[in-house]
Amino acid sequence: MRLDVAGIPILSIIVFLPLAGALLVAFVPRRFETAIKAIALLTALGAWVVSLAMLAAFIPEVNGFQFGETADWIPVFGIQYKVGADGLSAVLVVLTTTLTWISILASFGPIKERMKEYLVSFLILEVGMLGVFVALDLFLFYIFWEVVLVPMYLIIGIWGGANRIYATMKFVLYTLVGSLLMLVAILATAFAYQAATGTWTGAFDFFALRAAGFDTTFQAFAFLAFFLAFAIKVPMFPFHTWLPDAHVEAPTAGSVILAAILLKLGAYGFIRFAVPLYPDAAVRFAPMIIGLSVIAILYGAVVALRQKDLKKLVAYSSVSHMGFVTLGIFAAVLIPVGAIGAEQALQGAILQMVNHGLITGALFLLVGVIYERTHDRTIAKMGGLAAPTPVYAALFGFFVFASVGLPGLSGFVGEFLVFVGAWALNPWVAAASAFVMIFAAAYLLWMFQRVVFGPLSEFLAGLGGHLTDIRPVEIVTLAPLGALIVILGLFPGLLLDLIGGTVTDVIAAVHGAATAGLIR
Amino acid sequence: MTWSDLTLIAPLVAALLVACAVLVVDAIAPGRDRPAIAVSLVGLAVVAAVTWWTGQAPGTAFGGSYTVDSLTTFLDLVFIAIVALTILFGPDYLAPRDLPVAEFAATLIFAMTGAMLIAGSADLLVLFVGLELMVLPGYLLAGFAKHDALSTEGAIKYFLLGSFSSAIFLFGLAYVWGLTGTTRIAGVADALAAAQGLSPALAMGLAFLTTGVAFKIAAVPFHYWTPDAYQGSPTPVTGYLSVGPKVGAFALIIRLFVEALGPIQTDWLPVIAVLAVLTMTLGNLVAIAQTNVKRMLAYSSIAHTGYIMVGLCAYAADPTSGGLEAVLFYTAAYTFMNLGAFAVIAALQKRPGVTSQLDTFAGLGRREPLLGVLMTLFLLSLTGIPPTAGFFGKALVILSAVTAGGWMTVLAVIMVLNAVVAAFYYLRVVVYMYMRDPKGEPVVVRHGGLVRLGLAIAAAATILLGVLPGPLIDAAAKAAQAVAGL
Repeated sequence: MRLDVAGIPILSIIVFLPLAGALLVAFVPRRFETAIKAIALLTALGAWVVSLAMLAAFIPEVNGFQFGETADWIPVFGIQYKVGADGLSAVLVVLTTTLTWISILASFGPIKERMKEYLVSFLILEVGMLGVFVALDLFLFYIFWEVVLVPMYLIIGIWGGANRIYATMKFVLYTLVGSLLMLVAILATAFAYQAATGTWTGAFDFFALRAAGFDTTFQAFAFLAFFLAFAIKVPMFPFHTWLPDAHVEAPTAGSVILAAILLKLGAYGFIRFAVPLYPDAAVRFAPMIIGLSVIAILYGAVVALRQKDLKKLVAYSSVSHMGFVTLGIFAAVLIPVGAIGAEQALQGAILQMVNHGLITGALFLLVGVIYERTHDRTIAKMGGLAAPTPVYAALFGFFVFASVGLPGLSGFVGEFLVFVGAWALNPWVAAASAFVMIFAAAYLLWMFQRVVFGPLSEFLAGLGGHLTDIRPVEIVTLAPLGALIVILGLFPGLLLDLIGGTVTDVIAAVHGAATAGLIR
Repeated sequence: MTWSDLTLIAPLVAALLVACAVLVVDAIAPGRDRPAIAVSLVGLAVVAAVTWWTGQAPGTAFGGSYTVDSLTTFLDLVFIAIVALTILFGPDYLAPRDLPVAEFAATLIFAMTGAMLIAGSADLLVLFVGLELMVLPGYLLAGFAKHDALSTEGAIKYFLLGSFSSAIFLFGLAYVWGLTGTTRIAGVADALAAAQGLSPALAMGLAFLTTGVAFKIAAVPFHYWTPDAYQGSPTPVTGYLSVGPKVGAFALIIRLFVEALGPIQTDWLPVIAVLAVLTMTLGNLVAIAQTNVKRMLAYSSIAHTGYIMVGLCAYAADPTSGGLEAVLFYTAAYTFMNLGAFAVIAALQKRPGVTSQLDTFAGLGRREPLLGVLMTLFLLSLTGIPPTAGFFGKALVILSAVTAGGWMTVLAVIMVLNAVVAAFYYLRVVVYMYMRDPKGEPVVVRHGGLVRLGLAIAAAATILLGVLPGPLIDAAAKAAQAVAGL
């Protein structure tokens, strides 16, 4: 049975519900902290429930964007408020709403001060992230893209660790360089459209621009600007250096959202905008991007092996894992028409986005759990957690194995599909990235062994009664992620059905086929 | 002089009357600020209404030396907003320092009259008279704190360099008059269009004019007076100086360079383009090194001048690119966000002795959450983060630059890279406000109602122009169309 949401602007409700929550929280006096927490959590849960309803109403068989809403915004330049969701958007929207409420719930313990400002930032962050995933007007997309920046800047800068100011400024400046050049490219694209058609109507419209077809030189410049913005966000080698700093300094929930959602914004940008709008340039630059992806996969893994800090290790593993995403996307771009592997590569990339969100989000939550008890993340100081905290150790083990890519859990499927695609493209690329699976097993399992097994370390023993096992509320934050990892690992078809339309559509766009429309 | 002449200059007359009324009220009730402020604010509202009403029936007055078109109306309303906002947040700073509030308001309104004269001038001499009427009260305001050595120093520098640049400017005007035989703007444009190419004498004149104007808008390398004048002046005056004379100078540029010298725009375009690059880059780089927020905003205002000049270049390169409306939108957006930022500084400095050093802002987000949020909003807008007025200002300038194409696209790229540099120092203030703890015991200051109102207006405009910029873009486009050549 499908939900019928005809006539309900369901995407706008999902996107702006957190904004309403943020405004409400802002006007509640500081002393009612429980009320503030309750409002924020309920808003996030509300957005989650509505997004699940949206998913239930989503019809995978339809080729095109559903739940479309269009309204004029700045008519002079044809800028519209235009949103819609295909399978990819729908999945990422649900991923975002899920991880947001989990993060908010996980923050109630560790965040000790200025809870109100924290929650307002978090809810506005959610608005920006959701908006990016549903915007179908380039200008609107850019606005949401930048809206994400400020709350994350505050979250790292105010509630972060010792070196937080350096980390947050680095995060902002890196992101701004990319995004402002992207703004120039967006405006240049709109003008190129206007110059070709003589009208601003549709100059920022995703569908109109996709159908336009720009000349190859222009595509190259515009694509490079988009590439820079998205590559910094993913982050791809060599634009990744902000990530370890940001992750290490951010509070737990900030790291969770950063890894699980913010990095996906870049990958989403590639799939939704950069590749379909500038297909010729995408094909032209694909070899370079694939090269960078392979470097990221290997480099991230090797560097992760050497990390002494738990969060930094997970951060570098993100660089490696996100390398599979960009590898999959651009392998799909490069594989010629009719050859096998393009679909698998893109499916794998999208699956890997979701899986990385679930698994790395959970790993950061788990690091947060231990940090809250020990106020330390140094791997060398840990050891023997299995005895005093058995439940924690078991959960930690589960997510570590998921991250390694154990078959039966979701991490495996995505990486496997990317391999299939990469193999079709070039066996050497596939071999190089498959080789990294060994490294992944090495750095993750070695870390797990050092933290969990062996005799209880002196440092941990010194904590005595403070070293309590995982609390029920912490299990509540991890349980949905664990459940999804198992379900998607056993039945990846659930996800593949949803994103099938997107995959066909993007691959068709590269080869110049007709585009899907917006369906109300 | 006919009746229609009078109706067309009604806004100017009204503004003069308001300024005089403020002085009269001050003479009747000396030392009492409230009546003077009330008269000036109500008076400005009336002037705004008159301006609006006059704008409904455009025309020229006094034999074609003064003109009312949609550009005049647009700029006049911006000037009125600038002065009204400055008067709103002035008293909180001035009164505790025993500086006369009524004279402050009257001087500002006199300056506004000069700016309005520039906006409506159709004759080079009227233009110059307007310019002088606008800047003379500015010198006075810069030295308003007459017992403060820094204020006096800034005022003297401002006065000397200002007078010097006015003289250079006038010299340039003389060249233009000598070569074209007329001072009417339309006549100059016709004569230049008829004459083929740029004669050496005209090139000289153009060089003098550009230098004079570059001084007034504080374009690099003619900006040296700015930081001292800005830092030394009382904070509300700094706020005014960073916006009022600047918008006035851009009004002058539009009337002079775009209208009168429009036919030779290919000749001045390269110069302005180079100045734009220098101005935004140097302004931003030097702003990074500042530890005083007023001085930092002074340098950042130089950078904003550069951004606005990019819009001007885009227009000169391609008059259909929308560069002029970008310039107009930007000035309006800049008015609200920059005055808002200065209003916050002024509010913080209500207690005499509080400096505008970065340290003053340490922990502000905790001490005064509302001021912290507002300052963050204004700084984000100045950075150009959506959804704020400043973002649309930048977006329109970039759009016009890419529309003009060619080298203008390179200007747009230089501009966005500059915006990243600017993000660094704007956000550093946010770092101080939210990510550092205050030094010493915080003193609770009660802010006056006027400054609250001013902040509310500036904040509302900054957000509103960021969410619904449509109406202002339309108004700016209409104003831009009024300029000859469109």
